[in-house]
Amino acid sequence: MATNDTRLTGWADQDHVPGLKSELLELNMGPQHPATHGVLRLLLHTDGEIVYKVTPVVGYLHRCAEKIAEGVDYKQWVVYTDRFDYLGPVTNNHAYVTAVEKLTELEVPARAEHLRVVTAELSRIASHLIALATFGLDMGAWTPLLYCFREREVILNLLERIAGGRMLYNYMVPGGVRYDLPQDNWVSDVLEFVTMLENKKLPDYNTLLTYNKIFIERTSDVAIIDRETAIDYGCTGPVLRGSGVQFDCRRNDPYSIYPQLDFEIPVGKGEMGTVGDCWDRYIVRVREIEQSCRIIRQALEQLPEGPVHAIELKKPVRVPAGAAYSRTEAAKGELGHYIISDGGTKPFRNKVRSCSFCNLQVIEKVGVGQMVSDLVAFVGSLDIVLGEIDR
Amino acid sequence: MEPKAIFDLLTAHLGEGAAEYRENDIESWACVSVARIADACRFLRDTEGLEFGQLMCLSGIDWDGYDENGKGKSVAILGYEADGTPETSDRVADGELGVAYHLYSHTCDHKFTLRLRFPRDKATVPTVSDIWSTARWHEREAWDLMGIRFEGHPDPRRILLSEDWVGHPLRKDYQMPDQWLNVPLRGQPYANNPFAPADDAPAGDDTPAEG
Repeated sequence: MATNDTRLTGWADQDHVPGLKSELLELNMGPQHPATHGVLRLLLHTDGEIVYKVTPVVGYLHRCAEKIAEGVDYKQWVVYTDRFDYLGPVTNNHAYVTAVEKLTELEVPARAEHLRVVTAELSRIASHLIALATFGLDMGAWTPLLYCFREREVILNLLERIAGGRMLYNYMVPGGVRYDLPQDNWVSDVLEFVTMLENKKLPDYNTLLTYNKIFIERTSDVAIIDRETAIDYGCTGPVLRGSGVQFDCRRNDPYSIYPQLDFEIPVGKGEMGTVGDCWDRYIVRVREIEQSCRIIRQALEQLPEGPVHAIELKKPVRVPAGAAYSRTEAAKGELGHYIISDGGTKPFRNKVRSCSFCNLQVIEKVGVGQMVSDLVAFVGSLDIVLGEIDR
Repeated sequence: MEPKAIFDLLTAHLGEGAAEYRENDIESWACVSVARIADACRFLRDTEGLEFGQLMCLSGIDWDGYDENGKGKSVAILGYEADGTPETSDRVADGELGVAYHLYSHTCDHKFTLRLRFPRDKATVPTVSDIWSTARWHEREAWDLMGIRFEGHPDPRRILLSEDWVGHPLRKDYQMPDQWLNVPLRGQPYANNPFAPADDAPAGDDTPAEG
């Protein structure tokens, strides 16, 4: 169907390809399309294979969790944070409880902080594994998907043993975590998994996917986000670091026990092409898995004894009046909560600044001029989760 | 740079009376007059030494019914009655609306917060989407959920809700809908579920599965 968008008239009159008359087409990519990673609809205006304009349409999963937050007390809302980025739920828990604790100034026991970091990093690895897997799938690589899901399954089992849920954990509460370690060899199982991942599995992925010639050809020099664009569009997480900006909330705006831990912040260096291309965003995630493994090992080595929550779990938390914006590094980027309290047990306003929401927006600029097939690579490299965009 | 020093630079640029500083232990902020917000943002982004390149977050706020005493006695939001019909209220909302801007500078590594407050019936503020591109979606969200118009916005549509949605759900006086496109939205308790199994349906096996 030819477009009747008045903003685009004049396109057909220009001689884009000498001797060929072309016309803009409207093409819907999604909402039911495996390469859009959820119910995302991209309205494309294409001239042949070249994308002239991208308009993301979001909101299919909207449930207005911010309104729900105003009707339930602070603890009851932790379950809703699980459902934002459902691929890395514990990092979302961590972001929310950090925000509440910033206002209440609750003393969180050291053991709870360590358990938070261990579970959040496990969750980050799980999320990144899905990112690698689905990105490979978008590029036509089927095997890494099965491998990554196999390793993710181990993480799901480990988190199930400590938190009770398989995918959605509701593990943290303001003031601590819900459960202490299980009475079995959980710690040694985690360490064993981490070692296996570092020594055996990541080299496997690198051989299969990262340094695969076809994969590099499809992703290097594709959809380059430069440093200025990334900051201007509010990109965070691996998308920002892929563009060469060394920024990580765990280091630049420290929370929890991250200042005590020794880890590096990988950034894209343009090894296979230009800084900020799809391959750079991908490799940042692979290297972050290594760093998460290091963090988990250190946190478990330092794990102190003691209680795991500071306050009674059944009592609602009363938060002093005030407002604070708190940000943490979730798997996809900077997850911020702006909480306004009126001194009661329910937030007066709880605004969620979700990472994928800001990361996706950059497609409006960088997607223009790409081939349709490169746009698939681009969306895959952004690693978005629609549950978090739509909230 | 400390927030107070940033504010001093800002108020020197805007002139007296355009901005007020609110000191707070957790997060201090500058309350700016609505007409000068774009000017203030441009100054904060472009001035050497401030360089706020990133808008972290833009939040619409409805201050209606806020308990200023900090006792947690704010007016409750409207939900559903026990029988599933939407709650109504005779109270006329008269509180102010607001917008909060959270800025961050990657080069200088400092943060700053700006806030606006304006009356409910004049919910229009200048856009900052030409200063930070990320504001485009944030402002669309604030319009969609909070009903704040951003003047000069290039694409002022709803973003999360569908175009034909009525009202702005995050307003404190928003009344829950009874139905949408003939789909009942009544928050009925499970016992009143119209799709619940009939009374004479064969009883299910309640014993937990083995293993």
